[in-house]
Amino acid sequence: MRYVRPEQLRELTLVFIIIAVLAFFATQIPDYLSGRTFTRISTSVAVIAVVAVGQTLVVLTRNIDLSVGSIVGVVAYVTGTLLTNDPNLSPAVAIAVAIGLGGALGALNGLLVAYGRVPAIVTTLGTLALYRVALVELSGAKTVTTDALPSWLLDLPATSLVSLGALDIRPLVVLALLIVVIFQLGLRYLPYGRRLFAIGSNPDAAQVAGFRVQRDVFAAFLLSGALSGLAGFMFLARFGNITVVAGQGLELQAVAAVVVGGVNIFGGIGSVVGALLGATLIDLLQQSLIRWLEVSEFLRDAFLGLLILLAVASDKVILGRLRTIWVRARRERDGSAAAAEASHGA
Amino acid sequence: MTEDPLAPAPPAAPILEIRSVSKRFGSTQALDGVSLALQPGEIHALLGENGAGKSTLIKIMTGVQQPDAGEILVDGQLVRIGSALDGQALGIAAIYQEPMIFPDLSVAENVFIAHRDRGRIVDRRQMHRDAQAVLDRLGVRLDVGQPARGLTLAEQQTLEIAKAISLRVRVLIMDEPTASLSAHEVRRLFRIIAALRREGVAILFISHRMEEVFEIADRVTVLRDGRWISTRQVSDVTPDLAIRDMVGRVLEDLFRRTPTEPGEVVLDVRDLGRDGAFSGVSFTVRAGEVLGFAGLVGARRTDVGLALFGIAPADTGEVRLDGQSITVTSPQQALERGIAYTTEDRRELGLIFPLSIAANISLPTLRRYLSRVGLVRRAAEDASAGAFKDRLKIRAATVKAPVGTLSGGNQQKVVLSKWLNTRPRVLILDEPTRGIDVRSKAEVHQIIDELAHEGMAIILISSDLPEVLATSDRILVMREGRQMAIFDRTEATQERVLAAAMGRDQRTAADALA
Amino acid sequence: MGRDFVRRLGTWEGLLLAILVVVVLVNTLAVPGYLQPQNQINLVQLSVEKAIVVLAMTFVIVSGEIDLSVASVMGLAAVTVAWLSGEGAPFPLAIVIALGVGGLCGLFNGFWIAIVGLPSLAVTLAGLIGYRGIARLLIEDRSIGGFPDWFARLGQQPFLGPLPFALVVFGVLLVVAFVVLGYSGFGRYLYVLGNSLEVARFSGVRVARIRIATFTMSGLVAALAGVLLAARLGAVRGSTAEGFELDIITMVLLGGVSIFGGRGTMAGVILSILLILNLRNGLGLANITGNTQTGVIGVLLILSVLVPNLASSARTRWRRSRGAAAAAGAEGP
Repeated sequence: MRYVRPEQLRELTLVFIIIAVLAFFATQIPDYLSGRTFTRISTSVAVIAVVAVGQTLVVLTRNIDLSVGSIVGVVAYVTGTLLTNDPNLSPAVAIAVAIGLGGALGALNGLLVAYGRVPAIVTTLGTLALYRVALVELSGAKTVTTDALPSWLLDLPATSLVSLGALDIRPLVVLALLIVVIFQLGLRYLPYGRRLFAIGSNPDAAQVAGFRVQRDVFAAFLLSGALSGLAGFMFLARFGNITVVAGQGLELQAVAAVVVGGVNIFGGIGSVVGALLGATLIDLLQQSLIRWLEVSEFLRDAFLGLLILLAVASDKVILGRLRTIWVRARRERDGSAAAAEASHGA
Repeated sequence: MTEDPLAPAPPAAPILEIRSVSKRFGSTQALDGVSLALQPGEIHALLGENGAGKSTLIKIMTGVQQPDAGEILVDGQLVRIGSALDGQALGIAAIYQEPMIFPDLSVAENVFIAHRDRGRIVDRRQMHRDAQAVLDRLGVRLDVGQPARGLTLAEQQTLEIAKAISLRVRVLIMDEPTASLSAHEVRRLFRIIAALRREGVAILFISHRMEEVFEIADRVTVLRDGRWISTRQVSDVTPDLAIRDMVGRVLEDLFRRTPTEPGEVVLDVRDLGRDGAFSGVSFTVRAGEVLGFAGLVGARRTDVGLALFGIAPADTGEVRLDGQSITVTSPQQALERGIAYTTEDRRELGLIFPLSIAANISLPTLRRYLSRVGLVRRAAEDASAGAFKDRLKIRAATVKAPVGTLSGGNQQKVVLSKWLNTRPRVLILDEPTRGIDVRSKAEVHQIIDELAHEGMAIILISSDLPEVLATSDRILVMREGRQMAIFDRTEATQERVLAAAMGRDQRTAADALA
Repeated sequence: MGRDFVRRLGTWEGLLLAILVVVVLVNTLAVPGYLQPQNQINLVQLSVEKAIVVLAMTFVIVSGEIDLSVASVMGLAAVTVAWLSGEGAPFPLAIVIALGVGGLCGLFNGFWIAIVGLPSLAVTLAGLIGYRGIARLLIEDRSIGGFPDWFARLGQQPFLGPLPFALVVFGVLLVVAFVVLGYSGFGRYLYVLGNSLEVARFSGVRVARIRIATFTMSGLVAALAGVLLAARLGAVRGSTAEGFELDIITMVLLGGVSIFGGRGTMAGVILSILLILNLRNGLGLANITGNTQTGVIGVLLILSVLVPNLASSARTRWRRSRGAAAAAGAEGP
C-alpha cells in the first residue's frame, strides 16, 4: 500500500492553487500571462526563496530562525561596502564572503541554541536585534549606493541567462532554483537530511538513538545563516541601494513562505520545494491582488497574515483527516489479520 | 583428552556481567554493590519494587549512566560503557515503555536511521528490502513504507526490536514490555523473544506480571532498595518467594473486600456506544458496590470511562444518574453531576509535578477555595489536603511539597485525593494500582473498601485480574469494544473471566494461564 | 505562588535585585540627582507603555503561550484613535473603539488558538503581520497628530501628585497583575495550563475559556498601551510601536519566566522592568545610543537563559567528577 506523505499532498495542492490563481487573474487583468509578469514575480521570489530554504532546515528540527532578515541586511551591506571600496574584487570572492559571513552569523545562533540550550525563539530574537544593532554601529548609518557598485553586479539581475520563448530566466532565478534542487535532494537522500526530520519528529528519541543532535542542529543554523548570506548577496544585486534597515521583515516573509509551503511548525514534516511553492504563491497573490483591486500596497501585510493563518489551519485539518484515514485502514487490515491468526489456533 | 559425556558442559562466558556496581544520585544510593551475569540465549527476569534500582541498572548497562564503582564485562573482557553509543556498539540495547520512534518517518527509516554504515546516500528501495527482511526474521507483518505514526503500541515495540536486531543486538533489555499489550500481542511478543533466544541473544526484562515471568524466564533476579537479593533458576522459586524477596517480609494476600450491603442503583447505563470505540455497553452500579471492568488491553474499557466522564462522549445509549437521564459532554459537566475519573496515566494526565500536593488536590474544585474576590484561600486548601494526607497515609513532609518528589504510590494517592475531594457519587478508577509498590497497592485497596462502605458507587477498570477478582462485587468483561459478560463475585473465577475476555471457550483460556 | 515552585526561582529574583541595586548605585554615583523623583518618573515614563504590555505578556507566557502580535495591536490601536479622530469622531469615542479593536484582535487570536487549536506562535505571528497591515491600510504613509490638549498631556502632566496619568495606570495594573497572577484562582489556572494542558483538561478546568480570556486581555491591554503611546508621542504613523515585542518579551523572560510556561513570578518581572529601565537610562546618560542599548538588551536576553544553563551543566559535571573521585578513593589502599 502506498502512503501519501503529507508534504507531497501539500505540494500538489499548492501547485493546483497556483495554477488556479493564474487562471483567475488571467481573466481579470489584461496581459497578465506575459513574460514580464513571470520575470517580475520570479526575481522577486528568488531572494526570499533562498532564505526560505534555510528556514526550512531550521524549522524541520523544531526550531525557528528569526534573525535571517538581519543577516541578509548585514551581509548585503558588508558585501556592498567591500565592492564599493574595491571594485575589482572578483565576483567569486564577493559571493564567498557573503556566504561565509552569513554562515558565521548563523553559527553563532547554532552555538547558542544547540550547545547553550537557549531556546531558538529567544536566541534568534536576540540576534535579530544584535546583528541589526551591529550593522547600524559599523555602518555609521551610511548607505551603500548603486553608483558606487561595480556594473557586473548591477547588471546581474537584468541579464537574461536563458530564454524560453517569451520567458526570460534571470541568473538570480536560476541560482534560487539550483539551491532548491540541491537542498531538496539533500533532505531526501543524505543521512544528515533524514536526521533533521528525525530530530524534529522526536527529539528525545534522537537523543536516545545516539544522534549528535547538537551538531546537527548547529549545522542547520549555520546553513540557514549561509543561505541568508547568499540571499544577502542577491539582495544587493537586486536593489543596489542598501540602507541600515535592509532586510527588515524578511524573517516574517520567510516563516510565512515556509508555513504556507507545508513545513510543520512542530518539525518533522515539510519540504524545500513546498517552501518555494509557498513563497511563490504568496508573492503571486500579493502582486496580482494589488494590480487587480488597485488597492493600496498596504493591503499586502494584512493579507499575508490571513494567508498564514489559513495555511496553518488547513495543515492541522488535513493531517488530522489523513491520520483518521490511516488508522481506519489499518484497523480493517488488522481485523482480518487477527481473525486469520486466531483461526490458526492459539 | 577425552570428554566425559556425562560431565556438565563448562559454562559459557556470560555475554554481559556486572560486578559490584554502585551508583549514587545526590543523597540516594540507587545501586549498592549489585552483581549480575547474563548468559547468551538466556531469558532473565528482573524483579523489584519501584525504587529498587531496576531502571538505574538498565541505564548503566546501556551506557546512559556510568557507575560510581564496580566493573562491567562483555564476553569476559573489562569494558567501559561511556555513552549510549558505546552501549550500542557493544550490542546492548534497551526498549522502554515509551517506544522511541520517529512518527514522521517510515517504518523502514525508523529501523535504519541510527545506522552509521549505510553509505553516503540513502537508498530507499534497499532500505525497504532490508527492513522487510528483518521483520520477516521476527515473523511480523508490517508495511515498511507507512509512517510510524499510525502504528499501535505493540507494533511500535516490534519496530524497536527490529531496530535492535538490525544493529546486531546481543543483549536486549525490555522494560515492562507487556504492560499495554493485548493477549494476542503478548503471544506474538513471546514468539519473537523465543526467536531471539535461538539466535543467542540474552534478554533481560522487567515485569510486574508474575504469570509472564514464570512462563518465559529461565532465571529470576530480585533487587530491593538498590541491593541484589537473589538470583535463582525459575524452577527453584515460586511467586510468593519472589514477592517475599522483593518486599523483605511476608505479605498478606491482596487485600480482600469486606462485605457491604449495596444500596440503591446510582448509575444506570443502557446500550452505551461511541462510533469506532465501543458499543452496546449496559450495566448498573449501586451505592456501596464495586463494579470491576475486566478485559485485555484493547478491550476499550478506558473509552467507556472517557465517555462517562465527558472527555469523549458517547454517540448512542442512555445514562441515568439516580434515576435521572443525563448527558455528559465535558469534564465540567461530569464533575457537576458527581462523576469522577482517575486516569490511567498519572504522569501525563493526572498530576502537575512542580505544583504542591495541596494545589494538585484542589485543582478540580478550585472554586470552592476562592474568596469572593477570586483569591485562593491557601489555609483552607492546605487543611483540605492535610485531611487527605492523613486519611490516605500519603508519605510526604508537608502538603506544600511538590508532587513530583513523591514515590509512585504516594502520587497515586494524591490523584485519588484530588477526585475524592470532588465528592463524587460515582468514582471511576482506571488502573489505580499500575506501577506502584506492593504496600501502597494494598493501601489503595483498603481505601476502595472503605469508600464502598461509605456508599460510593465505584467502577474499577484494571488489567490485574487477581486485583479485579479480589476487589469487585461484580465484574463486567469487555472485549474489543463489546460487552461480553457480567459475573457476580461468587461465580467469577480467573478462567471464566479470561475466557470471556478472550471470547474463547474455557479450555484454551486455561492453556494461556498454564 | 512563588513559594509553591522550585526554590531556584527565589534565587533568580534575588539575583535580579542584586543587579538592580548595583546598576542604580552606579548610576547614582555617575549622575548626581539620579534618584530624584522627577528623574525616576522620566525614566519610567519613556517606556511605560511597553511596561504595561509586559504585565499582560507575563500572563500569556506563564500559561505556556506567546503573543507576538502585541506591538502590532499597540500600533493598530494608536492608528485607530488617530484615524477616527481625523475622520471627525469625538475623541473619547475613538479611544473606546480603539480599545474594542484591541480586544477583538485578542479574541480573534484566542479563537484560532483555543478553539481551532493552532499553535500560538503561528497565529500571533500572522497577527503581527496582519494587524500591522490593517493599521497601514488605514493610515498609509501619513502621520496623524493634532490630538486634543488633555490627551497629549496624559503622558506628561502630573495627574496624581507628581505622577502622570500613564504612570498611575501602570501602577494600578502592576498591583492587580501581581495579585491576580500570584494569588488568584485564575493565576493558578495559568500555571497549570503552562505545565500541562492535558492535565488541566482532565481535571475539569475550562481550558478554552481561560485561553481565550488570556489572549483577549492581552489584546485589550496592548490597545490601552497603544492609546497611551499615541498620547505621549503626539502623532501616529504606520510604524508606531514597531518592533516593541522584542523588548517586551525580553523583560518578561529576564524576569525569570520560562518561555515554556508554568514557571516564573510577577515579582521577578517587575524587578526585570526596573532593571532594564534603569539600565537603559544609565547607558543613555553615559551617551550610549539607543541603538546600542537595544544591543545590550539583546545580549542580556540571551545571557538570561544561557548563564543558568551553563551553571547547571557545570554543577552536574562537578558533581560527577566528585562522585568518581570518591569512588576511586574508596578503592584506594
